[in-house]
Amino acid sequence: MDRNSSARSTRRLLAFGHFVGLFLAMTVICLPGLWIVLNSLRPAVEIMAKPPVWIPQDLSLDAYVAMFGRVGQGGIPVWDYFRNSLIISVTSTVIAIAIGMSGGYAFARYRFRGKSTLFLGFMLSRTVPGIALSLPLFIIYARMGIIDTHFSLIVTYVALNVPFTIWLIEGFFRQVPKDLAEAAQIDGCTRWQAFWAVEFPLAGPGIASSGIFAFLTSWNEFALASQLTRSVNSKTLPVGLLDYTSEFTIDWRGMCALAVVMIVPALALTFAIQKHLVSGLTFGAVKG
Amino acid sequence: MKFFGGASALALAAFLATPVAAQMPGKFDGVTIDAKLIGGQQYEALYARIAEWEAATGAKVNILSKKNHFELDKEFKSDIASGTINWCVGSNHTSFAPQYPSLYTDLTALIPADEIAKFVPANIGASTVDGRLVMLPRAQFDVSALYYQKSLYQDDAKKAAFKEKYGYDLAPPKTWKEVTDQAIFFSDPPNFYGTQFAGKEEGLNGRFYEMLVAEGGEYIDGDGKPAFNSEAGIRALDWFVNLYKAKAVPAGTTNYLWDELGAGFASGTIAINLDWPGWSGYFNDPKSSKAAGNVGVVVQPAGSSGKHTGWSGAHGFSVTESCPTKEAAASLVWWLTNEDSQKIEAGNGSLPTRGSVWDWVIAQAETDPYKKEVLTAFQEAGTHAFPVPPLAEWIEISNVVYPELQAAILGDKTSKEALDTAAEKATQVLQDAGKL
Amino acid sequence: MRKLRVSAPVLLLMPAILVIAAVVVVPLILSFYSSFTSFRLTKPETLFVFIGLRNYVTVLSDPVFWTAFGRTVLLLTIALNVEMLLGLGLAMMVDRATRGQRMLRTMMMFPMMFSPILVGFQFKFLFNDNVGLVNNALQSLGLTDQAIPWLIEGDLAFFAILVAEVWSSTSVFAILILAGLLAMPREPIEAARVDGCTPWQTFRYVTWPFVMPFAYIAMTIRSLDVARAYDIVKIMTDGGPARRTELIWTLVGRIAYSDARMGLANAMAYFSILLSILFTVYFYRKLAAARTQIAAEW
Repeated sequence: MDRNSSARSTRRLLAFGHFVGLFLAMTVICLPGLWIVLNSLRPAVEIMAKPPVWIPQDLSLDAYVAMFGRVGQGGIPVWDYFRNSLIISVTSTVIAIAIGMSGGYAFARYRFRGKSTLFLGFMLSRTVPGIALSLPLFIIYARMGIIDTHFSLIVTYVALNVPFTIWLIEGFFRQVPKDLAEAAQIDGCTRWQAFWAVEFPLAGPGIASSGIFAFLTSWNEFALASQLTRSVNSKTLPVGLLDYTSEFTIDWRGMCALAVVMIVPALALTFAIQKHLVSGLTFGAVKG
Repeated sequence: MKFFGGASALALAAFLATPVAAQMPGKFDGVTIDAKLIGGQQYEALYARIAEWEAATGAKVNILSKKNHFELDKEFKSDIASGTINWCVGSNHTSFAPQYPSLYTDLTALIPADEIAKFVPANIGASTVDGRLVMLPRAQFDVSALYYQKSLYQDDAKKAAFKEKYGYDLAPPKTWKEVTDQAIFFSDPPNFYGTQFAGKEEGLNGRFYEMLVAEGGEYIDGDGKPAFNSEAGIRALDWFVNLYKAKAVPAGTTNYLWDELGAGFASGTIAINLDWPGWSGYFNDPKSSKAAGNVGVVVQPAGSSGKHTGWSGAHGFSVTESCPTKEAAASLVWWLTNEDSQKIEAGNGSLPTRGSVWDWVIAQAETDPYKKEVLTAFQEAGTHAFPVPPLAEWIEISNVVYPELQAAILGDKTSKEALDTAAEKATQVLQDAGKL
Repeated sequence: MRKLRVSAPVLLLMPAILVIAAVVVVPLILSFYSSFTSFRLTKPETLFVFIGLRNYVTVLSDPVFWTAFGRTVLLLTIALNVEMLLGLGLAMMVDRATRGQRMLRTMMMFPMMFSPILVGFQFKFLFNDNVGLVNNALQSLGLTDQAIPWLIEGDLAFFAILVAEVWSSTSVFAILILAGLLAMPREPIEAARVDGCTPWQTFRYVTWPFVMPFAYIAMTIRSLDVARAYDIVKIMTDGGPARRTELIWTLVGRIAYSDARMGLANAMAYFSILLSILFTVYFYRKLAAARTQIAAEW
């Protein structure tokens, strides 16, 4: 009896500790983000106040109104940046997934010489820091005349994301028993048909998870984008953040407002597919 | 045209001026000018004028790139490196211009001499590299003056205490020695600081450079050798070191650049602040600044040599050497820096580079005492202005010098050690570049 | 028909090989070549001035470089370990939550939505010594009456950068480890409990071995992506003051563009690539070992 009740109170204490811990962790994670949202709504005098203003006194949407307003009055071409970011991120993600599927399938289903070397080689291509790539890439792209186009960034991001998509998706295809696809082939399907009917659906979560990683990488990439873009033709949102800095000044409130515009779509997308994301990572990367 | 009464003199003047102006925009039907312009809110209001130029000349402007200053610098260097300079007009800056010796053409041949004469001579001087006028300055001229909180100087208790301690009256400082005294006097860390300074990158090196000049030293001597590790150099660096030691500047100041400095003064926690004209509106706007309504501006103080500080720079536009339609490009550059264009920019609070526009903005500010105070202070500040040494390696030298200056400020090294090491490194930079 | 089948993997891999060759390998060869020249951006003709190993000699004999190199290794080692520990804790807490899982998982990934340069700006303002949120909070709570110079004192600045880096990247660990926890079969844990194991023993001998490969995956992903920290540090301190927070990447970035000495910068960059490769290969091997172990146990 005594033992039972003490066990129960221990459990209750643990549950309480768990709740508090979780709450604290989530606060630490979300606070800087909320701080940005809050800053986008407050005048600079409150953001940089000393003594600090803890309870917002003067909330307004001025920064957002200005952002979408005319150039010269605080406006920046948000729609252009947004469109560029969206086109570049979505296209490069889709292509990276397609290449990842074909590459992943090859690694999972075929034996060939130099397989593991090639695999590691793909992975290591990611270790090259953007700063070492940016100038040579620029020179090559400039000579080809594709600077400041969507195409140049899409190609670049595909290359950045392919190693990861191949890795995740490969694990998935390996997961699908070979017999299943072979059975379908015996039933009269071509290999191509068997792939779409049997293997592809099972790889869904892997595709979702590699997709979101690829999307977030492209959506947030700055070092290369700042080098390869120039004008509203191709500038993406992270590069657009710098529109709020000039030689001697910085508009932190405006920057926060643009940051919110950047974060919201990424957040929505993540929320929508996070379920697949988790299961995708589970099977994709480990079992193999 | 009418030639009656009092209007005639004015009309005559206008008439005399027109031939040049009529010549100047010119006609360039079918020409397309590719341009790379500095972006950012402060700079973009002007670009609305481009459409008018297109209408006046029949040419088209195609903006290839719009980025902030440093990103643009990176892009120009990348263009030079890859040999893809296939554009005509670029934004430029007096501190950066010497880095691109072969990129831009001499504008003296393309712009009528009497037009060039309408600019403030010092600005034209700063825009000239090796005797070539590589850019025309727009109304984005930058020199620093001293902002301060007025109320501090009106407090009788403070006045008495100050006089008691330092033996002279408390008034907005005229020398950098006075700034040191007052900054230490006003400081009450961590709530309130006497002053602050840009603590890194070209910002720190620039501030050190102007202090060196005010102390009577020179950065580069007549033989082109770094000479800042002199007695004057030690005095100049000690100014920063002493304030830091006395905790009269925020402890974080060695990581501050212009944005933190502006935010600091606007937070009302800094007494005296040497800063750029771009902040004047921000500091006095209750929506952005706690110091609003309490801001005074005076000309920047002088050093022990009697010379004032006055590190300055100006934004402007240049025409590339490889441009096939230089006349049209020069016309655009002229248009963006002409009187009407400068009025647009100066109307937004930045400093003009044409004499007539200076008169115009001051007349405009007649009804606004703060604006008038600001403009008068900055106009005088402009008379003491000097550009950075015209070296292609200026930024590179800055990058090796500023970590040493920081080391002295933070107490890792003595001023002398730091300056000697810095001079050694700067010499090496110049040697590597084949200069010495 | 038979011939076609043999070339299938090559065909399937061709797009990946092509795109990586075009975007990574070719530029890499170019920059590798330039590391043997005195290439200066503003003087394109210097690309053809071959100076042999001089850049490498300069780099390797420069104490500034070695300090930065050491600091980078230290930062990475601490950051990766702290991220893994925190990620593990976070994942376990989220895994145990009975309600609001969907919401919690999304919140957990919140920092991943932040572009690194934004993280840089954000933490620079948070850690500002005069008007920053951290000092304001500490002073308001009466914990200190000093303005703590977060971004100035060598150790504090290192810590501030570490916090920013950990904040932005713990999510990657948390999400991967959570994936592992969710995939874990329940029976072994039940069995352990029935056998009278303490929660710690259960964790140590049942949960951890299972989750470990996931942690290695995260390590591998992160060490592939370490240069990401460049954007953060660049904005927060740019290696300063007085080089107290200089990392390889900030050094390379400044020399490459600001000083325009691309050849020298590339020689340095090759060292930082080497570092990434070492980290990656190390974790990848660990991962492969853990994988075989798991495969054997399942």
